[in-house]
Amino acid sequence: MRKAALNTVYNLARSNSKIIFIGSDLGHGTLVEMQKELPNQFFMEGISEQHIVGFAAGLAKEGFIPYINTIANFFTRRALDQIIVDVALHNLPVKFLGSGGGMVYAPLGPTHTATDDFAHMLAVPNMNVFSPCDANEMEMIVIDESVRSGPSYIRFGKGGEKIISNDFNTYKSSYIKILGDLNSENVIISTGVLTHLAIEVMKSMETSLKCFVVHLPKLNLLKETSLYEVIEGRKKAIIIEEHQPIGGLFTQVLHHLQGKNIDTRNLSTVSLPDRFIRNYGNQNDHFNKWGMTVGAIVEKMGA
Amino acid sequence: MDYRPKAFKEPIDPQGRELRKLVIGAAGNAGRGHIGPALSILEILRCLYESVLVHDPKLPNLESRDIFILSKGHGALGLYAVLASVGYFDLAELDTFCKFESRLGGHPEWHNLPGIEFSTGSLGHGLAVAVGIAVALLNKQQNSRRVYVLIGDGELAEGAIWESLLHATKHKLNNLCLIIDFNNMQANGILDKVLEIKNIPQKLTSFGFETFEINGHSINEIKSALDFEPGKGKPLAIVAHTIKGKGVRIAENSPEWHHKAKISKEEVELLLENIY
Repeated sequence: MRKAALNTVYNLARSNSKIIFIGSDLGHGTLVEMQKELPNQFFMEGISEQHIVGFAAGLAKEGFIPYINTIANFFTRRALDQIIVDVALHNLPVKFLGSGGGMVYAPLGPTHTATDDFAHMLAVPNMNVFSPCDANEMEMIVIDESVRSGPSYIRFGKGGEKIISNDFNTYKSSYIKILGDLNSENVIISTGVLTHLAIEVMKSMETSLKCFVVHLPKLNLLKETSLYEVIEGRKKAIIIEEHQPIGGLFTQVLHHLQGKNIDTRNLSTVSLPDRFIRNYGNQNDHFNKWGMTVGAIVEKMGA
Repeated sequence: MDYRPKAFKEPIDPQGRELRKLVIGAAGNAGRGHIGPALSILEILRCLYESVLVHDPKLPNLESRDIFILSKGHGALGLYAVLASVGYFDLAELDTFCKFESRLGGHPEWHNLPGIEFSTGSLGHGLAVAVGIAVALLNKQQNSRRVYVLIGDGELAEGAIWESLLHATKHKLNNLCLIIDFNNMQANGILDKVLEIKNIPQKLTSFGFETFEINGHSINEIKSALDFEPGKGKPLAIVAHTIKGKGVRIAENSPEWHHKAKISKEEVELLLENIY
């Protein structure tokens, strides 16, 4: 996913001299071809995230479109003030590419696991927040964002995910994606790589058409009223997200359902816990621990 | 050379006194404001907008303009007074300072007011943005345009500034001028008592800047230092020795006048009487 995103930025930069890539001391070999071919559009800066965000804002103010990449938390936590003041307050087109969304960096501990990035970024006015499920969807989002004014935060998964985004149909909005039979009595709403799990759950229940999947690569839901049509009246609507339960997809959906006077008693969530996770291991270990498995979700659905 | 006694002694000319009346009048109308930090930078701002910057108040987005960012956004009253004086907006609008739905907030916002290039207020941001703009201008081959950023000496405690200093040198930004308002005073008191930052000029030089010290209230010294030709050598740093509250006897070198959330009419009268 990261490779797809960075290569897409490189390809965009070839045809648009305003596209800039900025890295914060990224691993050896990152976009070396771009560095050779487009040296004026490639910046590998020091480990200085606060500076880099302000720097990108300055470039954007002068008409450039910077894509900046580092580990997600080092933007969303360390440089939050710069993101809000320098970028979002000015509605500048700085695109944040956050590596290691969710529990990807589980072995590295809670400084690196991005379990609250949605909460931080969704609270920032003007910020569009994305969490694609595979490399194809990532490429599409990176391209779309190159022509949209304003900032965005795009969360990376681990990489190497099977391509599933092409299997979905859009539902009244390009960012509400449906897979399965809309007549099913239950729905799983997911974002990011957990959509792969949602599909597995759906397939495990397929014979009785009990469940369909809504995938939301974009988490800003304010205007997406059509989302609520697919939730309302279901027996169970389960929101799964690789994020703490507060401030992410679940909170957003609840907030907007409440505002529309829709019954939320059918709604529940499977998420990471509301605490620091110190257990190391790998991403799958945490999916298993926190109920992000086919068995646990089927059981929750009461099938 | 010891610049502080010179800065203390520097007389204020009639125009400087008028600007001080505007600052105090606006703060008095609002009943609040950062007066001291605005008075220390008035001569610097006046020289920039009257003699140094390429700009046009009637064309705030002039393609060939130089860029100025007030990183110490709490000096907004000084910037508003100077921008109004050179014609960016009507002087009468200064009376709306901090009022509901005014364009003139306690810190400057770019989308509100012509002449404001970037919103500031949270300290330590301006230099990074200025570095980005300076790189962008060189990238666009607009090599004659210059970027100025004014930061406070207390603001130097913000770590992000030192990140940006490294990057300014890395990118050989010979179109960038960093101005330090070295008034040796922050909200709580004398700089050295809050956080000692010794040898600021030497530090900036060691970071790769061409560094000069000036008396920050001397019109001649300011003009001569700030009007540089881009494209030569290193990024430029001007350490301007200033006096917080300069030009108003009771406010000079007084942390009490760094910021006040309540200013009485009597205090306003007293400040005006103390302009020299």
